[in-house]
Amino acid sequence: MNDRQTHDYAALVVRSLNIRYADGHEAVKDMSCVFPRQGVTAIIGPSGCGKSTALRAFNRMNELIPGTETTGEVIFGGRNIYGADMDPVRIRRHIGMVFQKPNPFPKSVYENIAWAARIHGFKGGMDALVESSLRKAALWEEVKDKLKKSALSLSGGQQQRLCIARTLALEPEIILMDEPTSALDPISTSRIEDLIADLKKDFTILIVTHNMQQAGRISDMTAFMLMGELVEFAPTKRLFVHPEDERTERYITGRFG
Amino acid sequence: MQRSNFERGIERIDDLVLSMARSVGEALGRASHSLMTQDLELAKSVKKGDTIIDSIQASIEELVVELIATQQPVATDLRHLMSVMKLASDFERAGDYAVHLAKATKLFFAEPAWRQFESLKVMAEKGQAMIEGTARAYKARDSALARRIAAMDDEIDHCHKALLSDTLSLMQEHPHLAEKAAKIITISGFLERLGDHMTNACEAIVFIVEGTRIELND
Repeated sequence: MNDRQTHDYAALVVRSLNIRYADGHEAVKDMSCVFPRQGVTAIIGPSGCGKSTALRAFNRMNELIPGTETTGEVIFGGRNIYGADMDPVRIRRHIGMVFQKPNPFPKSVYENIAWAARIHGFKGGMDALVESSLRKAALWEEVKDKLKKSALSLSGGQQQRLCIARTLALEPEIILMDEPTSALDPISTSRIEDLIADLKKDFTILIVTHNMQQAGRISDMTAFMLMGELVEFAPTKRLFVHPEDERTERYITGRFG
Repeated sequence: MQRSNFERGIERIDDLVLSMARSVGEALGRASHSLMTQDLELAKSVKKGDTIIDSIQASIEELVVELIATQQPVATDLRHLMSVMKLASDFERAGDYAVHLAKATKLFFAEPAWRQFESLKVMAEKGQAMIEGTARAYKARDSALARRIAAMDDEIDHCHKALLSDTLSLMQEHPHLAEKAAKIITISGFLERLGDHMTNACEAIVFIVEGTRIELND
């Protein structure tokens, strides 16, 4: 694949990514891969394998942890997001993140979306933006009559969809999700999974999950990480039927260790 | 904990598959022997035994469904369960063919033995060898053995073709024997199909072990 083709195909190109924490622990070791545009890529692996650290590296969230050292490149839109002239805040507008625990601001439903949009300089019609973001997050029908109510009064699943709506309001190209359903019940989880299936038509989604069945259900590609290393990266259907690496096989069949 | 449940399930399935193979192999042996010795009681026992074979198949299917529902298997585990369903259905068909062979005992009862019976006996022996070999390959998860066993199907095919041409010429010489001759051809065809089913079972074993789909009966 030449550079042009890679650019058309790839949402993110990762080259020799190494991440070391202040205590010397190498959380990610020499990771290189190409995350395809649109579609869902799941990152799986046991606790401590570096999957969340890698995910956070894709929008420079790790630098909020003092002493973290990152080397290598993460190419987005043809440019290395770790380049000297790159602004992390701008990067995070294009590459949004949704966290494990829903973390709405202690403000109204409306303000949760409007506030984030204003910070990033949005100057259009705010009502329209709030509505369209909530619609995209499949939440509008449930909250349209309580936009002025506190976001904290919503259920956990609704709060998580509000956080997704907040991310969507910034019109990102990539959405990073760090175990977005692990704090939710099965029904809320299934709503979020449906939402992900819908959003992948317009966005590139990278999701870290502990739940392998979830990775199997919702992702097109799956990356398996172990002890900081990207062991296998393949179409989900292939990885879950006939993994190439013995370590992947042992992990996904639960025979690891 | 969950894994050991899964592994216990697989062990149970292994036992069932092996006992099914043993029953089918024995049934085929008894069917062939009943025809050669005109032993009607023995022939009946083949028919009776087939219900046991069918019930083993049902138990295997039940266990597979249970394991898929509760353990969400992937990779080798999933390939194993899917393949075991096919394997069990191939053995079940083989059991049915043994019943067809046993039925011939009554049809040809109190008649002088046909020379084709000897060929049917040879085919049944080869079928038994394939059944036993398939079970061994499954137990040992040995895809190389599975390939060798599948190759034995050629010998059965060869026997079938020889019997076919022999019987066809006999029908031309003695048209009044045509009806029974046709029956012999049908039974020979069943034994030929039995070889095909064991070949399919061997393909399923290769899929379990290697994860690749192959055609062994070309």
